[in-house]
Amino acid sequence: MTFSLFIEQIINGLIIGSMYALVGSGIALIYGTMRVLNLAHGEFYMLGGYLVFFLVVTCGVPAYLAIPIALLAAFLLGALIQRLTIHYLLQREGWAFSTIAVTLGLSIFLQNSALLLFGENVQSVPYYVTGIVEFAGVRIPMQRLLILGVAILTIAVMTYVLKATRLGWAIRATSQDRDAAAVVGIPASRIYLITFGIAAALGAIAAAMMAPIYAITPWSGLPILFKGFVVVILGGLGSFPGAIVGGLLLGVVEAVGVQLTSTEWRDVIAFALMIAVIWVRPWGLFGSKS
Amino acid sequence: MAEAPMLRVENLNVLYGDFQILWDVSMTVGAKEVVAVLGPNGSGKSTVLKAIMGLTPVRSGKIIFEGEDLTKVPTHEMVARGISMVLERRRLFGAMTVRENILLGAYHRSVNKNTASRLEWVESLFPILAERRDQIAGRMSGGEQQMVAIARSLMSRPRLLLMDEPYLGLAPRIVSQIASIIQRINQEGISVVFNEQNVHLSFGVSHRGYLLESGRMMLTGTGEEMIHSDVIRRVYLGV
Repeated sequence: MTFSLFIEQIINGLIIGSMYALVGSGIALIYGTMRVLNLAHGEFYMLGGYLVFFLVVTCGVPAYLAIPIALLAAFLLGALIQRLTIHYLLQREGWAFSTIAVTLGLSIFLQNSALLLFGENVQSVPYYVTGIVEFAGVRIPMQRLLILGVAILTIAVMTYVLKATRLGWAIRATSQDRDAAAVVGIPASRIYLITFGIAAALGAIAAAMMAPIYAITPWSGLPILFKGFVVVILGGLGSFPGAIVGGLLLGVVEAVGVQLTSTEWRDVIAFALMIAVIWVRPWGLFGSKS
Repeated sequence: MAEAPMLRVENLNVLYGDFQILWDVSMTVGAKEVVAVLGPNGSGKSTVLKAIMGLTPVRSGKIIFEGEDLTKVPTHEMVARGISMVLERRRLFGAMTVRENILLGAYHRSVNKNTASRLEWVESLFPILAERRDQIAGRMSGGEQQMVAIARSLMSRPRLLLMDEPYLGLAPRIVSQIASIIQRINQEGISVVFNEQNVHLSFGVSHRGYLLESGRMMLTGTGEEMIHSDVIRRVYLGV
């Protein structure tokens, strides 16, 4: 492998990794605030892909408009789904565990809804931008650079929201202590609703950016869900910065590993990395021991 | 005719599942009064405070605060009614800084005006917290954490402050510090209800007390009356 090819693989790894990070950070936000492991999170990614496909290909909406509309739709859909299902379980003492069954059911329901609506054909979206950037022998398609740019922007916005806004403080407070948050006047159920919407939108951003590169099918959520779980386990369950670092790390290790072996090894490398991290730090890179 | 009490709890019944914790509990708290809820471990002291704050569902009974029944008011709206609470074992937002914890006390829209002057007032009560403002709350000592918890609860400038086991797990030196803080809060015109097992510790600061045993209100009176009561002796010493 030449040096420039190696650099190319690292950059590709960061690009894919930034998408893993967006999906993983949604899982982490949901787990962090409401202690729910969302098994339907891959379907938010899948639906995000179809929303963009529907808007861009079927309706002919330009991508720069279609993507924000798809995000808003994903946010509303995520919030609605939370309100109709998980909300009721969290209201009841001792029912939180049933969210596993409910989100698994949701996952199956959403997959089949997509199958019904869009059929089983593999769909894709044309490139948003074309061309290749070449610098010192390293060649990166513009489309991939756009993905990285959007991911960085999204992560920056989310970090700002969590650190510096009233909503962000409420999300962090609720995730640390629901009762204490209620006592100071933060309504947990509304925070849960908004957090679920945000997490769905994060998945949809990843899907929108990946749509020109990876095929959209009713089942495209499942592999990304597994990657999302690896990411939150790497980063520490419920940690937003952990999910970002975990995602980037996973992307780079996968890309370099695949280059050294072959594509079939991709998932083996991902899970080996996860097992190695659990071995040394069972609480993840950013999680706390308790 | 004395004016109506600020808080009136009437025939409160609370159950956890099928297990009844409180049986027809009644009590009152006047304006600018400090009231201690006493009783042995498991007598239901904490449940009384949690029920007032809406943290635990009430089966029957009334909780009237300034003329309004609180039993249907959700916990996150209590601050707007003028009630705040220091939870048992502090319950800080452990990963956030001291300043962030305190500012969250003024989160609710009804109390998030003049945050700077509220903060100034609270930090005048706890000067040490101004120095420690950037420290991560979860890494402080128990006594310091209790001060942060009290400071957080005062940011909404409540008229009634509920304190669940404010002395729990604190060193004797810190306990007397917290006791004088309770008196100081009361001098600011705030009513305080707190619970505590130790009778002598409680009457250092409270005007009146209530004694709970197995979820039933057994006795009420001033510190002097209660300390010499036979009921206290029976409940605590079994004689």
